[in-house]
Amino acid sequence: MEIRIINVSKHYYSGGKTIKALDNVNLTIPANQIFTLLGPSGCGKTTLLRCIVGLESPDVGEIQIGGEIVWSSEKNIYVPTENRGLGMVFQTYAIWPHMDVFNNVAYPLQTRKMPKDQIRSQVDKTLRFVQLAGFENRPATKLSGGQQQRVALARALVAEPKVILFDEPLSNLDAKLREETREELRTFLTELQITAVYVTHDRIEALALSDIVAVMNAGRIIEAGTPREIYFNANHRFVADFIGRTNLIDATVTSQDQSITTVDSAIGSVVCRKQHDMTPGDKVTLCLRPEFIRLKRGDATQTQNVFNGQIQSLVFIGEAFEGEITIDDTQLFIKIEPDSAIEVGDNVNFTVDPDNCLLVTR
Amino acid sequence: MASKRSVLTPTLIAIVGFLTVCPVVMLIFGSFSTGLGAFGQFTLNKYIQAYTDPELTDIIVNTIVFVLGSSLVATGLALLLAYLNTRTDIPFKFLFRIISIIPMMIPHILFSVSWVLLLNPSNGLINLFLRQIPGFEDAAINIYSLSGMILVEGLLDLPIAYLILAPALASFDIALEESSKVCGSTTLRTLFRVTLPVLRPAILAAFILSLVRSLASFAVPSVIGMPGRIHVLATHIYQSVATGFAADFGRAAAIGMSVLAASITLIYIYRYLTSEGEKYVTISSRGYRPTVIELKGAKYPLFGIVGILSMVLIVLPVLVLFYTSLVPYSMIPSARAFSMMSWKHWIEVINDPISLLSLKNSVFLGVVGATLGVTLSIFVAYVIVKVRSHASGILETLSFLSFSFPGIVIGVGFMWFFVRTPLYATIWSLLIGYIATYLPYGVRPLASAFVQVHSHLEESSKVCGAGSFTTMRRIVIPLLIPGIVSGWILMATMFVRELTLSVVLSRPGTEVLAVQIFRFSEDGLWGQLSALGIMMIFISTTLVMMATFVGLKFKPVEEGR
Repeated sequence: MEIRIINVSKHYYSGGKTIKALDNVNLTIPANQIFTLLGPSGCGKTTLLRCIVGLESPDVGEIQIGGEIVWSSEKNIYVPTENRGLGMVFQTYAIWPHMDVFNNVAYPLQTRKMPKDQIRSQVDKTLRFVQLAGFENRPATKLSGGQQQRVALARALVAEPKVILFDEPLSNLDAKLREETREELRTFLTELQITAVYVTHDRIEALALSDIVAVMNAGRIIEAGTPREIYFNANHRFVADFIGRTNLIDATVTSQDQSITTVDSAIGSVVCRKQHDMTPGDKVTLCLRPEFIRLKRGDATQTQNVFNGQIQSLVFIGEAFEGEITIDDTQLFIKIEPDSAIEVGDNVNFTVDPDNCLLVTR
Repeated sequence: MASKRSVLTPTLIAIVGFLTVCPVVMLIFGSFSTGLGAFGQFTLNKYIQAYTDPELTDIIVNTIVFVLGSSLVATGLALLLAYLNTRTDIPFKFLFRIISIIPMMIPHILFSVSWVLLLNPSNGLINLFLRQIPGFEDAAINIYSLSGMILVEGLLDLPIAYLILAPALASFDIALEESSKVCGSTTLRTLFRVTLPVLRPAILAAFILSLVRSLASFAVPSVIGMPGRIHVLATHIYQSVATGFAADFGRAAAIGMSVLAASITLIYIYRYLTSEGEKYVTISSRGYRPTVIELKGAKYPLFGIVGILSMVLIVLPVLVLFYTSLVPYSMIPSARAFSMMSWKHWIEVINDPISLLSLKNSVFLGVVGATLGVTLSIFVAYVIVKVRSHASGILETLSFLSFSFPGIVIGVGFMWFFVRTPLYATIWSLLIGYIATYLPYGVRPLASAFVQVHSHLEESSKVCGAGSFTTMRRIVIPLLIPGIVSGWILMATMFVRELTLSVVLSRPGTEVLAVQIFRFSEDGLWGQLSALGIMMIFISTTLVMMATFVGLKFKPVEEGR
């Protein structure tokens, strides 16, 4: 089911100040995709999610789920949460401590007054799907964090909603469990063919899980796209910076032809792949991700984008060397192969592939 | 929903406001009036009479010594017990829980009486026993003294001080002490330079709460103080309203104003300290146990102190009462005493119509009063915790106000009100007075229960398709059951043993247990008193057990973290 957010705004008043939680948001969440709202805390992503599910109402605008208007300021429509037929996994899981696993999961069906035997078979099916078969009679609070998370997922899925919402569901798990659960979740959701809206502030989670990522800041959607588009082809400095570690260098466009844009910057002239039309003199920001700054092999004859830099620091982290280099007094982060034979103080030639040089507006 | 809330909060403010503000306002009016029947003309006479009384200086000095002394005893003992329990390897830790809970079930008046039975100078059991020892023929430890009052009141306030200090010590971050030791301090120096200063807000809070309790205390001053002619403000007020034909409610109100002002000031300081305390106390989330200090050689001597305290607090009073209810007159336990034992006093009590009436009234007040009180508390706690508007802040202050009400003073205030209504001298006047005075005891457990019901638990139910009513029935109420049960238990036990308010409001026909016991003690009828007292303890315990049972029935799965 497709979700449409049309001109939605919401303000909070706190300590005499107006905070724009949602600032004229327009968004279409396509059916049967895993759609992630990514942003720093306080950017409005959770507020948007709660508006979709109906636990909060915007000030103005309209929200449609599957073509049905569930909220509209103009037409004065408000479909209460319990009638929207959605599923949701809360950050705290919101497992009811006084019920066992079966009753937690069966609850949505019980409220729909489904016959008992049908409830039992539906709950069985869902618990098997989230790999919790046999846990029916356990008190829900006696489960591990990962299992509780799956109970919450089972409860959200049991009534077979067309849309499921996630509010930072992995943030209460420890690092290792979080990775495992993320993979599981991805498998479950792909199998189900369901529209999933997922809120997180964790960029890795967003990249690994999503079909589409929308980056939010200060109540606005800054940019939306597939994980690769957002990572490689961001149009905004904020997005490029938020989605991964990056070196941001001020630059000025010097020339552009059919396939490349050349800029002048503090580290010299850099040749970049052309993404947008720019005119010489445009002020832009050059984004160089640490993993794309590579050592120049001795035999390479390449002359484009070669920089001489001195290694300032170097930390071995197993899978790579992380460190800082200076190129013409500009400090850059690097991340290079762990088997490189380099040391602090070395003067080394580095190269960057023009395809990996990203230009964004300042 | 929004419209329901907007009606709920003002309604509650009106009800709680009436309960708490009405007695205070009536007290103020009363103190400026001539007689109880009519307010009459504005007059300052009562203040002039009350405060120029030459006896008042002595009474005030007595009150200050009594209140400070007993609070020091209570806080000091509580600190020792809490420290031993939470921080050392002292054996039999379950005893500490018993010490902190059980004395709440033994009514203060019975506790005071049991000490009179043990230590009164003419025929106290301990004194009788001491006199048998050669060289001690004239021995008489006199409980009817200021130090006697301080000791007994201190023991009575010990549980409340312990209940404040134990959690503060339990959540104390051990790293603060460890870093002090790493810096080179000895254990003792660490205790005085780090541990105690960090705990200072909690210690002060416990001390101030003890001050408020002993200032309002009536059982100890009346049972122990009055026979020794040691008067404090509480008994002074009582005598103004209780001495037969010359009852002077105006003078009582004038004196009561000072007591109320002192009490409200102390509670204000207490609230300030407890909110300050949150800055200090560090609570770790992961079920963190502070390391324990090994007591080594001091282990068993220290445990001996705890053992004696629990004997003195719990076993001794009940034992003494039971023994006294069976023997014909005061005598030390001996073969002769056992041969003379009979149910005579019990039979007398059962055949005494006033005692029976007081039993009936107290059970009614306990059951009906606690049920109504908890019902009101559920709504008040809901508004305080969940609505959180400006108006709910007013409600919180109002519902907390009666925490500082000394029963006897508020009883005088209510008297000025009830005498003007058909409620005067009915059981309902007591019921209203009880709920007004003890409302915080219902609101507090329920407020913490509501805090535990995270809003996600309700929201998640709505997402699952449940409406407000279903959410209330299946999610909110079941999660509140533990809070409801403990609120009910607290209120019911308080009501069954209520003395200070009742001693003013109770009239012929509305006698209650504690007042009847007080009458017995004034008449020196110790046997009947003890029999009725044991019945009272039995009723309290039964109510507690019933409530616990009902609570278990409603709670299918044990509560999670």
